[in-house]
Amino acid sequence: MNENININVHHITRVEGHGNIVVNVTNGRIEKLQWQVPEAPRFFESMVRGHSYQDIQTIVSRICGICSITHSLASIKALESALGIEVSQQADVVRILMLYAEEMQSHILHIGYLAAPDFFGTPSVVPLVSRAPATVKAIVKVHRTANEWANLVAGRPTHPVTIVPGGLTRVPTEKQFRQLQQSLRNIFPDAKAIAEVVLSVADSIPKFERPTEYVSLKQTSPPTYTFYHGDIASTDLNDATLPVSKWHEAANEYVVEQSTAKWAKWHRGSYAVGALARLNNNYELLSPMAKDAAKQFGLVKGCCNPYMNTVAQLVECFHLIETTIGIIDGLLTKGLKDETCLSGGKPPVKAGRGAGCVEAPRGILFHEYEFDKTGKCLAADICIPTGQNHANIQKDFEKLLPEILDQSEKDIRQKLEMLVRSYDPCISCSTHFLDVKFVQ
Amino acid sequence: MSERTTKNDVVVIGLGNILMSDEGIGVHIVRRLSSQQGKFPDVNFIDAGSAGMNLLHLIANRKKAIIIDCAKMGEKPGTVRRFTADEVVSIKHLTHFTLHEIDILQVLNLSKQLGECPPEVIFFGIEPETLKLGQNLSKTLAVQIDSHISAVCEELI
Repeated sequence: MNENININVHHITRVEGHGNIVVNVTNGRIEKLQWQVPEAPRFFESMVRGHSYQDIQTIVSRICGICSITHSLASIKALESALGIEVSQQADVVRILMLYAEEMQSHILHIGYLAAPDFFGTPSVVPLVSRAPATVKAIVKVHRTANEWANLVAGRPTHPVTIVPGGLTRVPTEKQFRQLQQSLRNIFPDAKAIAEVVLSVADSIPKFERPTEYVSLKQTSPPTYTFYHGDIASTDLNDATLPVSKWHEAANEYVVEQSTAKWAKWHRGSYAVGALARLNNNYELLSPMAKDAAKQFGLVKGCCNPYMNTVAQLVECFHLIETTIGIIDGLLTKGLKDETCLSGGKPPVKAGRGAGCVEAPRGILFHEYEFDKTGKCLAADICIPTGQNHANIQKDFEKLLPEILDQSEKDIRQKLEMLVRSYDPCISCSTHFLDVKFVQ
Repeated sequence: MSERTTKNDVVVIGLGNILMSDEGIGVHIVRRLSSQQGKFPDVNFIDAGSAGMNLLHLIANRKKAIIIDCAKMGEKPGTVRRFTADEVVSIKHLTHFTLHEIDILQVLNLSKQLGECPPEVIFFGIEPETLKLGQNLSKTLAVQIDSHISAVCEELI
């Protein structure tokens, strides 16, 4: 038993917010244990007020460099709902392929660049190049393919340019879709190799469980392991769901002293969102290869080990590759239609308020906007997945720390950091400036 | 611009977030440069926004990469400095909780380790005046943007 522990993982730089872990144990008694997010609020909602509906997705796509497609799609769904703008089935399907590309980009980044160093005990991915060169090359290849995939359907690997109100400004050709299918088939062996490596170090995934409410989208018609359509589901709700328009009833945001980011709760004091939440609500709808991967890791429906979120992301990678190949077959069997929109998109049909929801890589994301009849934005509300996970991270800490107090301070710190990383948080994604000094 | 174009040997990449005032200077410059694409047909101009890790793929196996970014260098706001990775050390503090915080010099290091880093990588760092929320550059940077663009163009001749 450690009698005295003092952990302070603490970084505050100019405008970037960061997460802090603070642990104080004195004479074996936990005096302070906090997950703090001292992030300066960025008020993106105020930035879109007064802008035309045509500009919204372009602006919000810059909120984040990793979830830019996700923010674009949540906003476009919300504004199309508010303004009564319809979207063709083909555009809808191609948008889903964009989202899949971003899920893949983000998941493989998290698994390969953040989680892998944890599993191998290295400080970053750079030393892994010499230690496990084939694995790093496989990670880079899969990530590069995901980038090319996003580039093809969204016009850029990030900050998409093809999404407009009512549809898309362009759709890939049949030949390009076939090439994408082939690229995806080509990375199956790499994805399997990555899974084998993660499996070989799976013993280093802490065995920790805490019964948790998991919240995600769920689509019943047709039944789909969904990232895009459907209603809000909770593992605390059995089969009942909540329509996206009532998302405020699920994401009950509240303010706590230890964090400038809002926390959220629904049926309990906290809930979790992300890959593990999706898997717990939709496990039976995973693709066959994804189910095989889940079985390899012993990942089953009902898992409440937050560290397994990274494995759930890996399982989803197989689902995304396999499902996309099938979706493209479906698109091409129907025949691609020439129905691209002009750059301004379709005009508003009515004034109104609307909500849009998609599964970001790190969990359910809500956007809501109100527009006047000319399409000018009057109000906006955005609720990000990481914000919804903060309270749950704190609750995990509170159960975990007493269970590992007999370990060294170094190991305790490592397990707490790994726990935060397993949620794949998006804490400070708006700035990446260089901070350098010149070598004399 | 879309990157569904031919991959050229030379790439000019603008990094930054255009919602955070001067943090977006790299993107503002590369957007202006894109309008001169006719003068530089063999160069790719890419607005990479705040997608830090994508830099790895954008520079891979090129002959020359020019990266334009907002840089805290301890200089007067608006100052531009041209440098290579060997001439600086990063003093950026990262928590390593999240991939949303990126040290570009580390990405370059990974690219070298993978054997796909361009032999020539040039940075143009521009000292910001403000990083507050807002879609406009500070006046200090806005009035100097033409000279920054000229400096990058000289690198392309």
